[in-house]
Amino acid sequence: MPGYQEIMSLAGFKSKNAVYKLINKLVEEGIVEKDSKGKLTPLKLYGEIKMLGLVEAGFASAAEEELVDTMSLDEFLIDKKDATYMLRVKGDSMIDAGIQEGDMVLVERSKPPREGDIVIAEVDGGWTMKYYRKKAGKVYLEPANKNYPLIFPQHELNIAAVVKAVIRKYR
Amino acid sequence: MFLDKMFPRAILHVDGDAFFAACEVSLNPKLKGKPVVTGLERGIASAMTYEAKAKGVTRGMRLFEIRKICPDVIILPSDYETYSIFSHRMFNIVRRYTTVVEEYSIDECFADLTGLDSSSGLSYTEIAMAIKRDLEGELGMTFSVGVSTSKVLAKVASKLKKPSGLVIIPGKEIEAHLMKLPIEKVWGIGSQTSLFLWRQGIHTALEFASKTEEWVKEKFSKPHEEIWHELRGVSLYRVCPGKIDEHKSISKTRTFTPASNNREFIFSQLSKNIENACIKARRHHLVAGEISFFLKTQEFRYSTLELKLSLPANVPEQILKVVIANFDKIYLPSVLYRASGITLRKLTDARVIQTDLFGQSIEVQSFNKMYKEIDALSQKYGKHTLFLGSSMKAMLDAQHTGDRGRPTVRKQELFLGETQRKRLGIPFMGEVS
Repeated sequence: MPGYQEIMSLAGFKSKNAVYKLINKLVEEGIVEKDSKGKLTPLKLYGEIKMLGLVEAGFASAAEEELVDTMSLDEFLIDKKDATYMLRVKGDSMIDAGIQEGDMVLVERSKPPREGDIVIAEVDGGWTMKYYRKKAGKVYLEPANKNYPLIFPQHELNIAAVVKAVIRKYR
Repeated sequence: MFLDKMFPRAILHVDGDAFFAACEVSLNPKLKGKPVVTGLERGIASAMTYEAKAKGVTRGMRLFEIRKICPDVIILPSDYETYSIFSHRMFNIVRRYTTVVEEYSIDECFADLTGLDSSSGLSYTEIAMAIKRDLEGELGMTFSVGVSTSKVLAKVASKLKKPSGLVIIPGKEIEAHLMKLPIEKVWGIGSQTSLFLWRQGIHTALEFASKTEEWVKEKFSKPHEEIWHELRGVSLYRVCPGKIDEHKSISKTRTFTPASNNREFIFSQLSKNIENACIKARRHHLVAGEISFFLKTQEFRYSTLELKLSLPANVPEQILKVVIANFDKIYLPSVLYRASGITLRKLTDARVIQTDLFGQSIEVQSFNKMYKEIDALSQKYGKHTLFLGSSMKAMLDAQHTGDRGRPTVRKQELFLGETQRKRLGIPFMGEVS
């Protein structure tokens, strides 16, 4: 490292005090280190490559990086956490859609339903789960079981939520 | 005019309408439009729907009284787990708009919207409407929202049109909104202060706010002087972003029924409360310098004892030691008790290590190590995986026997893989056909 005098001429300073201030700033930033005698040692040099430790050859080290592109089961199943609810299926009105009694359904509230979505609607003071159908501007609910009738709402139909996933745990 | 600007600051206050009861209705459409009361396990109403309020049901009313004045009432056990999830969601939703959100209580929060109008291109009214729409759409219940230039006024605004109100009070319209507001309805004005103000001929918030600063300074101390400024639209109370749990104190109390005079049972209830309070204190890295514990008699009378700890603590053994030594000062064998409780006070940061002359701190450190493990176990296997022998009776027995002991729907309807101790943190809407 250059001495005070050298820095003075290199930087075009008119006093050693200016050099002193510059060095203090560099020390503060952790770029150089000053020992008890005022001798400077460089800590960071530009163009340096940071040493991250020894790496074994092979594929193992790439694992962490690749994991960035994975998601948890929670993230997979749930988009909007604060609007997500669950229900338990009763009966077999959606059996042809593969939804059985006892299944857990994850639903999202406040999501506008699209034709063909499975939705949770409020009918006669209870929840019902059916396909959301819209034909010629008319909305109705369709079960996935021919033993159940279509539901044509008398008044307004309250769609409480849209089904996002069905979970069945076996053991 | 108090203020000639519209919004030198824009403070939002959100208040869940009949929150606990509304959570129940949100999940169960059968309850919609009906008088619903929560608090079955406590024997008194903790919250009620507006339909129940209309019949005269009030907070704290005894259940038999409620059944008398409102025979078709539906009384449910409180499901605090579910209410807490809803509460958490409520704060999260408001945080979508600003990070400056203060969780004021389980069903209330403040947010500082100042400057959001120019950055979003929406008016404060539109921002408040959007927040309200998100909250109501996603949580399935109504909220009352107020926006004004100070916290006190924001709270005035949210209260004005409950339920489901949206009231905006810009600086220039403050007077008009305070004109009809009884002074005792102002946040921070207690019954003593109201009485005093009435005697001074002051009945409305406007009358109080219109007094001169000299008058207020002469008659009142600092907190009321601050309220006076806030009522005039000057924001002194900052919205402090953070959880409710930046506690000044931690309290845990549980009612048990039937009432009991069994010393061992009552003590175990208190012991359980102490364990719970300590769990909370440790979660927030706090230690208590003082504690108080109480027993509540069947006649709703409290006997309380306040104690100072020789060394700040957050492990139950340390606190129980002083409680055991003093328990018989308030427990009378001839009296029936219905609740016990503990309050941890003088809370300080546990991470600041304290030492003492007598080496007690060494003992504390070993407890700390032990509880680190215990907390880790609870994290993995559920709360109270390990508990103290002194809490045994309270842990084993149901908190309430008889009709009142009915567990919440959530705890009865477990999914495969869920246990009594640990359930999915997603609200359960019940069965769907």
